[in-house]
Amino acid sequence: MKGAAPFAAGEAANEPSVDIPGATAHWTPQQQMAHMLALCDAQVAAAVADADEAVAALIATFTHLGESTRELGAIAAGGASSQAQSIVRMCRQVAEMSNDMAQAVVAFQFYDKLSQRLGHVRYSLSTLAQFVCDESQAGERDQWRKLFTTLRRLYRTDEERRVFEETMARACGASCEALVSDAEEETAPAQRAAGADIELF
Amino acid sequence: MSGACSQVVLAVDDSASMRQMVRYTLEGAGYKVVQAADGVEALEFARSSGADLVLTDVNMPRMDGITLVRELRALDAYKFTPMLVLTTESGQDTKQRGKQAGATGWIVKPFNPEQLLATIARVL
Repeated sequence: MKGAAPFAAGEAANEPSVDIPGATAHWTPQQQMAHMLALCDAQVAAAVADADEAVAALIATFTHLGESTRELGAIAAGGASSQAQSIVRMCRQVAEMSNDMAQAVVAFQFYDKLSQRLGHVRYSLSTLAQFVCDESQAGERDQWRKLFTTLRRLYRTDEERRVFEETMARACGASCEALVSDAEEETAPAQRAAGADIELF
Repeated sequence: MSGACSQVVLAVDDSASMRQMVRYTLEGAGYKVVQAADGVEALEFARSSGADLVLTDVNMPRMDGITLVRELRALDAYKFTPMLVLTTESGQDTKQRGKQAGATGWIVKPFNPEQLLATIARVL
């Protein structure tokens, strides 16, 4: 699985620590577990929503490709009144098909990202299962903070980091405002256009 | 893109669908594409054959893309070969590690075919 590393307490020592939900006085392991499951649910929902969008784009592309193919067939069958007109129409159709294929190439890449994001959720759940079985860890607030910090480091995409920060912010309320605003500054909009992020060194 | 006809791109990604999209895009522009599923496979190819450009993912089993770039830069034949990283990773730390390893550039997935081709043409 991409980016997954076994959780070990103290492993994320160099990482800025995550402010875990719940004021110290009201903190419970069950509450943390619920927040972790809510985070996994939010990550799956966001990944599936992005995948739905990509599949919708693919469907639109193939529908348009079908229309273009039929139009080309009609031109070839002699629907146009002159040869010059036929060539112009065919060139236009070919250009549209080429554009469709470029959009399909972008949309097809959803699978790579989806499998990576779902892999991270699977890893989070299996780590959580191991974590809660160890009572010495599960009862310690600091261990939960390390767990959340380690899982945040697992996230590779802007979208995953945004879902993490939003979920934590919802769980923390006002106490996490600083954390969230920092994250928003670091994170590019999730709807970044394909190919917009290219940097030559 | 007539100049691309004889140029070989080594495309490295553990996702078969990504390799297919890269191959479709680059072969359509006249490049010859050699595929590898991870850094180890890519390095084996690189040691025995030449590539004009390397396009690699970061997170892969056996050997990641940043290690691959570092290993390739240590080979005489690849000291000046353009190496682009194509990844979902957008964090500055990882990007910095890629730069230090010797990567030529960084492209965040998903790629736009036209922009990928323009970037490759620019660095070749």
